[in-house]
Amino acid sequence: MSRRPPRGEYIETDTGNKVARKATLVGTQNIMLGGKTVIQPDVMIRGDLTRTVHAAAPQPASQSATGAPPNNTAVSIGRYCFLSRGCCLRPPGRLYKGVFTYMPLRMGDHVFVGPGSVVQAASIGSHVHIGAQAVVGEFAIIKDYVRILDGAVVPPNMVIPSFSIVAGQPARLIGEVPEGGLEAFELRDLYKTVGNNPQPVPP
Amino acid sequence: MSSKRHSILPPVSQTGPKPPVNFSSTITIADSALLTGTHTITVHGESVIHPRARLDSLAGRVTVGRRCVVQERATLGAAAAVPAAAAAAPPAEAAAAVTLGDYVTVEVGAVVEAGGTVIGEGTVVGVGARVGAGAVVGKHCTLTAHTEIAAGEVVPDFTVVYSNGMRRTDKRGVAELKNKGLARQIDVLRRMIPSNPAKFA
Repeated sequence: MSRRPPRGEYIETDTGNKVARKATLVGTQNIMLGGKTVIQPDVMIRGDLTRTVHAAAPQPASQSATGAPPNNTAVSIGRYCFLSRGCCLRPPGRLYKGVFTYMPLRMGDHVFVGPGSVVQAASIGSHVHIGAQAVVGEFAIIKDYVRILDGAVVPPNMVIPSFSIVAGQPARLIGEVPEGGLEAFELRDLYKTVGNNPQPVPP
Repeated sequence: MSSKRHSILPPVSQTGPKPPVNFSSTITIADSALLTGTHTITVHGESVIHPRARLDSLAGRVTVGRRCVVQERATLGAAAAVPAAAAAAPPAEAAAAVTLGDYVTVEVGAVVEAGGTVIGEGTVVGVGARVGAGAVVGKHCTLTAHTEIAAGEVVPDFTVVYSNGMRRTDKRGVAELKNKGLARQIDVLRRMIPSNPAKFA
């Protein structure tokens, strides 16, 4: 017992993902992590809410007989994403041709999701910063280099163009990301500061 | 899920007393839902309780109507944030703490406080919203994300609460359609969420 190395707070995978042991990942087989992604404790990802648009066909059991397995990815996350403590990612769902189905939640690279935020977007681009306690409504589309401030409530189906800053309840466009402000979206340094042997924050 | 990575889904710590439950046979309740308290928790037919939803009957009975959806991290029957408000609510010992009508959706992280709180048919309680103790929310209301309903407040039918407490009346007349849509959603969720009502019995 004493010879075993102490179990760290995080599970670090070969591709550099750092997943907290206390994170709640439901339906892990449907969650794709791009690598170097940090998932902090108390994060919840609903991978079990998969697409069912073909499930209306005679029977779902026939899918395995047809050869290629259906792509059931519910949540896909790019590289260097940072999911802070207590946030929740769940795929958006809606009626499609009279059948209720969940749609995949796609997230690009360098996406920061603040603590306590709930994200139900259809797609999130790269270099997006979502503040603390924000809510991103169902089927919102967030393009690249977007900053969503703390406590913002992005209404369902909203499309946020690139380089926008949004805030408020409901969220409105309040500004643009300045020319020199793109470096701030990089999450490589933040990635190094968490894990089982965290590095100090660079000055 | 492979046994090797079982640590990914940490076990739910069941704290507090195990409440008596009265489940319909057609409900879907996730294994990791949290039920605590001392009074009866009743869940009517075809309702869906997502993983990590919390139903707390410490202050009184919790009743969930037909075809309701309680999403993850939602809390029904939370202790009132303002204790004085709880005192104003009817303090009868076996009183109903929370009553959800039929076709109610309680979204992620929403909190419905205990103390005779009633939520009417077809109402949607949005992400992270909070309904105070003793509040009575009417039928077919929409409480958008992060809205707060004060303790003891009465919200009329068809009210939409949005943007830090602004109100308007929903005149679209789509209540029937919304109920049908919710029924479809429940059909899908029943297949997706492994149900384990026996755990709570």
